[in-house]
Amino acid sequence: MTLSVAAEWVELPLKQFVDEARVRLAVLLYPSGQVLGQFGFGRSVDVMTACALSAAISASSAELGRMVDGTPFTDLHYAGREKQIFLGQVPIAGGSLVLLTVFDDESSLGLVQLFFREFCAVTARAVPSSNAETPALSDDFERELNHNLAVLFGRQ
Amino acid sequence: MTSPFAGLLFTLVRHRGVKGCMVVDERDGVIVDANLQLGVDGSAMAALAASVYRKARRAAVAAGFGEIAFFELDAEHGRVCAAGRGGLVVVLVAESRVNVGLVRVEMLHALEAFA
Repeated sequence: MTLSVAAEWVELPLKQFVDEARVRLAVLLYPSGQVLGQFGFGRSVDVMTACALSAAISASSAELGRMVDGTPFTDLHYAGREKQIFLGQVPIAGGSLVLLTVFDDESSLGLVQLFFREFCAVTARAVPSSNAETPALSDDFERELNHNLAVLFGRQ
Repeated sequence: MTSPFAGLLFTLVRHRGVKGCMVVDERDGVIVDANLQLGVDGSAMAALAASVYRKARRAAVAAGFGEIAFFELDAEHGRVCAAGRGGLVVVLVAESRVNVGLVRVEMLHALEAFA
């Protein structure tokens, strides 16, 4: 299983998280769907799909939370028969990131939540201040989206 | 609203040296019910203890020893004890001075409530 990142500061927190939580897959992305780092994926198209779906689910559940509870729902967990997903908001200065992770019986929801909290703390410290000023959707969003995928899969 | 486990948790935490006690879902590692002293990180304890218990149970089965009944983790400044049945685990966090024999009997007795 390989871990690859599009930004250097992502590597340490993401590696710590996957090592300690024993998850099968993990992908860190901007709420816009632009990938920052991944673990366990073999194809860029799978990362792209996971990011697009995660961004959509995250935005939908946040809006649903605002409607029914007055505040956005931040974390989401779904348990399948063998695999489970956890989708969490990672607060950073000036915004947030999204972490999608897939785990099985080698881990548990409790462990994922525990190490996700640590991941949030480490990421908040690691994120460069210039990152907070990046717009959610920059003018060359599509180019950056493809650039990060290319970096992750060694095509850059 | 009182959970069905409130009574057994109360019975366990009243022992001298016990800092907290939880009923934890073995698969998910999340708290079902807990009675904890201030300063005990319940959710972290639940996740880690359930993980250790689950792996110990798997190891016992793999070794052909059958189901695990009780385990005790002896650390420098305290003990963690766990006993499980039916997908639930009773996790007890205590100081070193706790009477392990007594709480072991109480924990194994408490498992009857999970049947």
